[in-house]
Amino acid sequence: MFPQINTYMLLVQKFSFVLGSILYLLFAFIVVKQTTMMSKNVSDKFNTVLITFAYLHAAFAIFLVFLTLTIL
Amino acid sequence: MPRVSDVDTIAPDDQITSTPTPSPVKKSVTLKKDKKVTKTPEVVTSLPTTPNTNPLVESVYKILGHTRHPFSSTLIHPHVFDFQERDDDEIVLVVARQHWFTNVRWILISLFMVLFPSLFRFVPTLLEIPGTYLFVGYLFWYLITFAFAFESFLSWYFNVYIITSKRVIDIDFNNLLTKKYSEATIDAIQDVTSTVIGAIPTVFNYGNVLIQTASEVNELEFGRVANPEKIIKVLQEVRDQYKGGQI
Repeated sequence: MFPQINTYMLLVQKFSFVLGSILYLLFAFIVVKQTTMMSKNVSDKFNTVLITFAYLHAAFAIFLVFLTLTIL
Repeated sequence: MPRVSDVDTIAPDDQITSTPTPSPVKKSVTLKKDKKVTKTPEVVTSLPTTPNTNPLVESVYKILGHTRHPFSSTLIHPHVFDFQERDDDEIVLVVARQHWFTNVRWILISLFMVLFPSLFRFVPTLLEIPGTYLFVGYLFWYLITFAFAFESFLSWYFNVYIITSKRVIDIDFNNLLTKKYSEATIDAIQDVTSTVIGAIPTVFNYGNVLIQTASEVNELEFGRVANPEKIIKVLQEVRDQYKGGQI
């Protein structure tokens, strides 16, 4: 009985991590959208750098989703 | 038969055509130089319309000085700066952001968030969690830390207050996808007030500049900007020159 509860707990944990990473990925895409919108409205020297950081952040979020699906 | 002294240099059969040709070339060179000289006065006459010698820009430089670095909280007549609503003949005079000291809070929070996982070793129960879960947890935590710091920086960097030769503009990005744009023309400015409240703002000389206008937007507020008294001087200067018809 206890090993089954343990298995269920691990499944719940994995499901929580996967769901959390997917929600975070949506947030990362919103950050990209926000950065590009801000850069269109106010053009400055470092807009390209900031947009690059936003895309890198989204790439890491995709990597996080991949990790939660494979490693956990 | 007497020997011609210059027989080696000029043979009798040779057609001497060299002497005329050099002079036209020389003349053309001098003409080109003259042309170049004549062109510069034309360039000189066009200089007063360029921003570098614009009297309004010069007076702003006298009040605020020059921009120290690109991340400065006040950019004076930035050459690489633009906004969507700018007119073609509109000159950006001042771009102000909140004082750099207002960023200290989120910087300290971000530093704490970066160092927080190192405290886990003092909690033995956390060490029993499987390594893969810990790794993913760390990655998730640092991504959240980066997102918090990045969002805070974007909020500071893109919330700008702009003074141009025609208008005063306040651009605010309140949350993730909300943009608020407020503007007032220079001739609509009725009253300008600055307030510096508190010990730290007094030490670092930053405060609020409240601009009351006769337009639909009753007032614009430049919040926590550096040197608010100089911002007021710039607004007065722009208003005086606008009323004097110099703009």
